[in-house]
Amino acid sequence: MLKMTHLAKVYRTEVVETYALRDFNINVKEGEFVAVTGPSGSGKTTFLTIAGLLETFTGGEYHLDGVEVSKLDDNARSRIRNEKIGFIFQAFNLIPDLNVFDNVEVPLRYRGMKSAERKQRIMDALERVGLASRAKHYPAELSGGQQQRVAIARALAGSPRLLLADEPTGNLDTQMARSVLELLEEIHREGATIVMVTHDPELAARAQRNVHVIDGQVVDLAEDPRFHANAHLVGANS
Amino acid sequence: MQIKPILAALRRHKSGTILIALQIALTLAIVCNALFIIEQRVSRLSRTTGMDETNVIAIANRYVGPGTSFTPTVKTDLAAIRNLAGVEDAYATNSYPLRNGGWSMGVRLKPDAKKEITSTTLYFIDDHALKTLGVKLIEGRNFNAGEVISLDPRNSTSLPQVIITKALAQKLFEDGKALGKTIYLSQEGKPSTVIGVVEKLQVPWVGTWAGKFDQNAAMLPAILDSNYQNFVVRTRPGQQEAMLKALPKTLYATSRMRVIPEETGIRTFEQVRARAYETDRGMAILMGIVCAVLLAITAAGIVGLSSFWVGQRRKQIGVRRALGATKNDILSYFMTENFLIALGGVIVGSLLAVGMNQWLFTRFEMERLSLTYVAVGVVALLALGQAAVLAPALRASRVSPVEATRTV
Repeated sequence: MLKMTHLAKVYRTEVVETYALRDFNINVKEGEFVAVTGPSGSGKTTFLTIAGLLETFTGGEYHLDGVEVSKLDDNARSRIRNEKIGFIFQAFNLIPDLNVFDNVEVPLRYRGMKSAERKQRIMDALERVGLASRAKHYPAELSGGQQQRVAIARALAGSPRLLLADEPTGNLDTQMARSVLELLEEIHREGATIVMVTHDPELAARAQRNVHVIDGQVVDLAEDPRFHANAHLVGANS
Repeated sequence: MQIKPILAALRRHKSGTILIALQIALTLAIVCNALFIIEQRVSRLSRTTGMDETNVIAIANRYVGPGTSFTPTVKTDLAAIRNLAGVEDAYATNSYPLRNGGWSMGVRLKPDAKKEITSTTLYFIDDHALKTLGVKLIEGRNFNAGEVISLDPRNSTSLPQVIITKALAQKLFEDGKALGKTIYLSQEGKPSTVIGVVEKLQVPWVGTWAGKFDQNAAMLPAILDSNYQNFVVRTRPGQQEAMLKALPKTLYATSRMRVIPEETGIRTFEQVRARAYETDRGMAILMGIVCAVLLAITAAGIVGLSSFWVGQRRKQIGVRRALGATKNDILSYFMTENFLIALGGVIVGSLLAVGMNQWLFTRFEMERLSLTYVAVGVVALLALGQAAVLAPALRASRVSPVEATRTV
């Protein structure tokens, strides 16, 4: 479903080159629920933005659903984002000027879907996240958990092949975080491929597979001396 | 396409939306009326007098000192002027086209008719006038020297012969045929027979009030026995500059008992025309500046508000891009948003434009605004709105989808 090989992302200024990702390799199979973990600044979000075609990469290869995306133009990338990828952001990213119904409708409109089908999908998605009764509410009238559920409904309405979640519970209290996570698990059980970036170990533990990123690279925790050094420090402090 | 969500979003930004729509509405109302005024003034400027205006000089002359009759002096002056080598012909008159001062009179076809059919200006001329003015006689004949009398302006202005313009003939007679017919130019009931018809000759006034009869001229064969005289002179080609200097010298050599005002006393017809339409030209320029300033302010308002909204909605644009919007989708979003605001503005503005014209119509006797102006104004303002929003909209379309993931 998602395969990155020797992928690199370099930010260049006149005086310095900063590698956000280097020799980054990952392979997520269809139907998997993968958690990408790592410390702040490790490159988790950069990975997610490249995976979601929000950003281009500097080197290597990235195949999404069998398509090598580096050769695609901006319109084609937009189409793939619209048709194959669903995003769930930490800050929900609902459009404050639109009500819940209109927010969920945004990606469907860009797909050029007919009104009746849009309406059906929106109501189905809102039913699924338990917010059908709030369709006419504006984001500001909802709790954080409800907003994230609307964001999930927006991602689900387009029936994406891949769901990308960036710290989906980062802005929620424990109870709301749990309900959002349960919703993600339910979606996964129904066959969706989910890649979730998080630095919450408890959240990561609920995924099928964990991928750890340090300094822009995927590392095997068992073999990484940096992990052992940190573990030792943590152990010494505790 | 995106209209419903755009309208929904605009409802959440009422103040900015209403302000810019109102600005567009006011601009449309003012610009439509201003353009209408400009068009009226410009069409006035481009009217022809019916004369061959090149090589014509007008002299304003006032005799001073004692005297009971001025006609002999006028005749002496005319003889001196016509004797100049650079002069082709000349005549004396009470007024001439574009002079902005003269006589007007009601015209009747029956002596006892209570209501006049139309108004006309009266030009008192002699047998040299048509040649001097370069006016085309299309029917009948010119006056002959024997018909030209000395006329005391305090007495009746009715004379047995009259030459009229074609426009006046058409207003007086259904078939437009006036030659040989009798008209009445005064209330004393004295008839004047039309002995000639000229193709065209404008009245002295250029203002709106004379607009209804601006081609109605009746020429009567007389030298007004008055101390105020205007001499109209046609110079030979290439002699105008020399005659401008020679004419006052010649007149003063004939008699010093006169005043020829220094700046306005002797003028080429180009100067007469420029002076006559000075206000119209000034008004057209002023209205043009008002239009340009208003349109610039409105465009700047649209650019400002759109830029502000683009800046305010960077994150939202990023989210839309992340959810599948192409650059064109974002561009079209902002263009459509502006179009909808401008559409609201021009609908209100059209009503305001017509209302403003109605007010000008009743208060200042302005003509009715043609709806073509409103239609052109609507299209122009919608186009201006689209042009003004283009740069901010293009900037919006370049916002990267990665903006959706930025937290600051």
